[in-house]
Amino acid sequence: MLVVRVLGTLGILLVLSIIVFSMLHLAPGDIVKNLLGNRPSSPEAVAAIRAQYNLDQPLYMQYLIWLGNALTGDFGQSIRLQDSVSNVIGARLGITAALSGLAFVLALVVAIPLGVQSAVRSGSWIDRFATGVGIVGLSAPTFAVGLLLLYVFAFYLPIFPVYGSGDGGLDTLWHLVLPAITLALGLGAIILKLTRTAMLRELDSDYVTFGRARGLPDRQVHMIALRNAAIPIVTGASLVLTFLVGGTVLAETTFALPGLGTLLQGSVLFKDIAVVQALTLLVAVTIATIALLADLAYIFLDPRIRAKEGAQ
Amino acid sequence: MSSTEAIVLAKTPRSRRRHPVAVWVSIALLGLVTFLAIFGNLIAPDATAQSILDSLLPPGSPGHLLGTDELGRDVLALTIAGASSALVGPVCVALGSMLLGILLGTVSGYLRGPIDFIIGRWTDLLFSLPLLLAAIVVAGVFGAGYWMTVLLLILLFSPSDIRIVRAGVMEQAARPFVEAAQMLSLSKTRIMFTQVLPNVSSLIITNSMLNVAFALVAFSSLSFLGVGVAPGTADWGRQLTDGRAIMIDNPAAVLIPALLIIGVASAANLVGDWLGQILTRTGRS
Amino acid sequence: MTQLNAANTPAAGAHPDTPAAAQVTVTGLTVDGPAGVVVKPFDFSIAPGETLALIGESGSGKTLSAKAIAGLLPAGFTARGTIELASATIELPATDAVWRATRGRRISLLLQDPFTSLSPVHRCGTQIAMTIQAASATRLSKAECTELVTQRLAEVNLPAEVARAYPHELSGGMRQRVAIAAALATDPELLIADEPTTALDASNQGEILDLLRGLQEKRGMAALLISHDLGMVRGRAEHVLVMRHGEIVERGVTSSVLNAPSHPYTRALIEADPSLTDRSAGVVRAASGAGAGGDAATGVGDLVVATDVTKSFGDKTVLHGVSVTVGRGETVGIVGESGSGKTTIARCIAGLEHESSGVIAFHGVALAPGRASRTPKQMQIVFQDPYSSLNPMISVGRSLKLALRVAGRPASDLNGLLQLVELPLEFARKRPAELSGGQRQRVAIARALAVQPELLICDESVSALDVSVQKQILDLLAKLRVELGLSILFISHDLAVVRQLADRVYVLRHGDVVESGLCHDVLTAPTHPYTQALVAASIHEAPTH
Repeated sequence: MLVVRVLGTLGILLVLSIIVFSMLHLAPGDIVKNLLGNRPSSPEAVAAIRAQYNLDQPLYMQYLIWLGNALTGDFGQSIRLQDSVSNVIGARLGITAALSGLAFVLALVVAIPLGVQSAVRSGSWIDRFATGVGIVGLSAPTFAVGLLLLYVFAFYLPIFPVYGSGDGGLDTLWHLVLPAITLALGLGAIILKLTRTAMLRELDSDYVTFGRARGLPDRQVHMIALRNAAIPIVTGASLVLTFLVGGTVLAETTFALPGLGTLLQGSVLFKDIAVVQALTLLVAVTIATIALLADLAYIFLDPRIRAKEGAQ
Repeated sequence: MSSTEAIVLAKTPRSRRRHPVAVWVSIALLGLVTFLAIFGNLIAPDATAQSILDSLLPPGSPGHLLGTDELGRDVLALTIAGASSALVGPVCVALGSMLLGILLGTVSGYLRGPIDFIIGRWTDLLFSLPLLLAAIVVAGVFGAGYWMTVLLLILLFSPSDIRIVRAGVMEQAARPFVEAAQMLSLSKTRIMFTQVLPNVSSLIITNSMLNVAFALVAFSSLSFLGVGVAPGTADWGRQLTDGRAIMIDNPAAVLIPALLIIGVASAANLVGDWLGQILTRTGRS
Repeated sequence: MTQLNAANTPAAGAHPDTPAAAQVTVTGLTVDGPAGVVVKPFDFSIAPGETLALIGESGSGKTLSAKAIAGLLPAGFTARGTIELASATIELPATDAVWRATRGRRISLLLQDPFTSLSPVHRCGTQIAMTIQAASATRLSKAECTELVTQRLAEVNLPAEVARAYPHELSGGMRQRVAIAAALATDPELLIADEPTTALDASNQGEILDLLRGLQEKRGMAALLISHDLGMVRGRAEHVLVMRHGEIVERGVTSSVLNAPSHPYTRALIEADPSLTDRSAGVVRAASGAGAGGDAATGVGDLVVATDVTKSFGDKTVLHGVSVTVGRGETVGIVGESGSGKTTIARCIAGLEHESSGVIAFHGVALAPGRASRTPKQMQIVFQDPYSSLNPMISVGRSLKLALRVAGRPASDLNGLLQLVELPLEFARKRPAELSGGQRQRVAIARALAVQPELLICDESVSALDVSVQKQILDLLAKLRVELGLSILFISHDLAVVRQLADRVYVLRHGDVVESGLCHDVLTAPTHPYTQALVAASIHEAPTH
């Protein structure tokens, strides 16, 4: 099973890489002009581009060379920023990682206990509150929430800085608070809903009734239910991740943070294709890896699956 | 991942609580926006008309209840006119992906075999990229307009519909009443569309309502990022991008469309959840 | 109530301060639901080491009564009354704090389904240890816990290794033993067992009940046994209460209730339970054509002949060469426990499953696997679960008309069809959700008969129904068989049910036919040890100890 799963992931990544590669050829306009950007199109420059991208080779050779370079971390030059794509991405990776990490921790710490309480006290005010916040968090686009927070906590009540990433260290952390809260609202709403639904289902099951019937304390019964609910919650990780990618782009744009999200937005608008290709591939690989890890966690969390895997 | 969707979209098993007040407020809001989407052009015929003389008026200015933006456009009129952009696209996306979902999901879930395998890999592929990222890249690099964006989003939304319909069909197809229909030697197409599909309808309706909410979010996100909608169009997402710079001069230019997007998406989501609860309750005993 | 007390331990009384010898006394137990009283007030008492059986069909209120005493009523239900135990008196409704001190320590509840009552991701030993720890005043060390868990497992005749196992690694019977060990780990005064063997195979049921009985006598623990099966309580309970629609209709010493029931409902229950009635002659069968069995044996007029049918799902083989013959006008039973392959062979014959090898012939003509080679008029099937065998979105009338149209019959035959299965004509307009289980099964039979099939396959068609309804459906099938000259292939795990209807019977085990022959012969004088065990289990013989 696991082997099939890994091969499937690799297959999908391969197909995606072809799609990402063909972006260069499918983008409207002349390919050389697109690659030159606003540099002068002297014959030497054109020749250099043709050589660099092997445009004289057959298409499949171009793809193989491109893939080979990509696998070694060489995605070419950014025409907008006049630097190698790997440098451009490397410089912005930190802020995005910090932002999404902060948002993720924030979402987990709030949403899991809230989801459990909301399921345990189904119908109570805390459940209503959680469901309400959950629906808004799930529906509200990150940028709209971000702008509202920005207005209230940076303009109206000037507590937090308005834009940018600060001067590093604590200042950067301070600058990341509002964007992280913005991002965490959507993330948390997904985790909350996953937790609440899974917990409600588990709390309804016979083993919970039997646990209470033989006198286990409520806390312990809830922990048993949560341990069972962990399986669907962890498998939901890929869903959370999908949201995180889009959310990061929007949050960074809203708060003008110089991360990968704003890089993608800028590159897309400028048609800086080499950067877009690299980012798309990077996201695809990250998501595929984490989805695979979530599946592995599944095996770790569920002894029934473990037994099946072990038997093969 | 399909099991996850099932969980996210699942009707919470024990919750019998209805939220009538919130639901009625949501329906009223959706009704108002629908009304504006249809008749907005009559109420605010020249919403996108620019006037440098009247630029950046604060809310409450004479003749401009919500003030004006940098280009001197009346924020209220612009917001009213934006309703159609906010609703038409998402509804088209929900309907289109519902159709694809019904067709491919039913075939995939009922016939199984090679067709199911091919459709399954297709959805896997579309799923492996985050929807918003794919939409940004494709719409941005290829410079798609509004209707191209609708088609793109239908394509990107369809895998979740396909999987949801497929799972529902598979659940129903294993039931004895479907086998009883097989015992009557009815054709596969007939069983699929007359016996199985009606039993999945509540799932489909609920999911489509939720899709309207998510499509609105996707649409406005794209226009906020500057792709999908042409500059100068009356569009709430676009208003947010333009209004960011003038937040101090006229906060209404940002706050009103932002609240509307959040409100309409939440309302559609809430009504979708509520429909799901009602439909499953009447569908079963 | 007074009768019961008099019959039990006249001297003991219900004084809370009487030590171990005190009995459990419940007075005025009432359950109120969202729409009024669900269980009307009743009293009972159970002496230490004795068992009281509470009998009723599903929906009678017996499970709600059990949950009321355990403080586990679902939301919307409340209980009234008094529970007097040796160590405490509980006034219902009680607070959470009272229940925390009561559940487990004084009253424990054992659930029906061992497949769901244990957490699938915790080891069995951990689940027992949690219970021990919860009831213990001090924090136990790991070694102490392991020691106690081993003791508890030994009590239910399980080896110490079971503690390391996850529930899914154990059989149903073993899981129920683990559940019993967990439920009794706190040494409660009263154990409530809610249908503790219903989910188990027949061969496990007796063992579990006897184990419970033994543990209970050893500890002097009172037990309340909830069951739908009046036959099961013989020899396993001192007293019995019969509940119907939330009301106790009969009570008394078990043997006198079974031998001389006073309430008509109890009589109906006893009559409907095949194991308690005349075992030698199938009353219903006597009414049918008796010669059919002889014909089939000679091979003349065979309707369906399945030869050497095998079936594998993946690498799991469920049928190893099964041969089954159904003669014209004959009723053939296939009996076996779950997993025996009895349903698979029926589905292969129906064409709903593709056999891996073997030949299935109809009127001497071999049919290719699958539905494509079969016509509706050849055979129809009636499934087990009445709740999913009708399309919930379609009215009864539309379902039946569809079937009539397939057979080329006019829609006006609908009324005749409803009359045939003894349903009122206005049922045509109803949706399945408005019908009871028995009524749905009648509609399912009508749909099958609408195309006038030669063979009717009944796949556990009555096993999801209450006994009294089972009897009605069996009578209906017997009547239809005579009226329409139907051949019937009847699949069941319940020998008693097959005995009522079948001319001949096949006994299946692990995908092989272990015995076959005339129904009367096989069931009165089984030759294969497995059949003997099945027959013994089915007649609920009193345990001998």
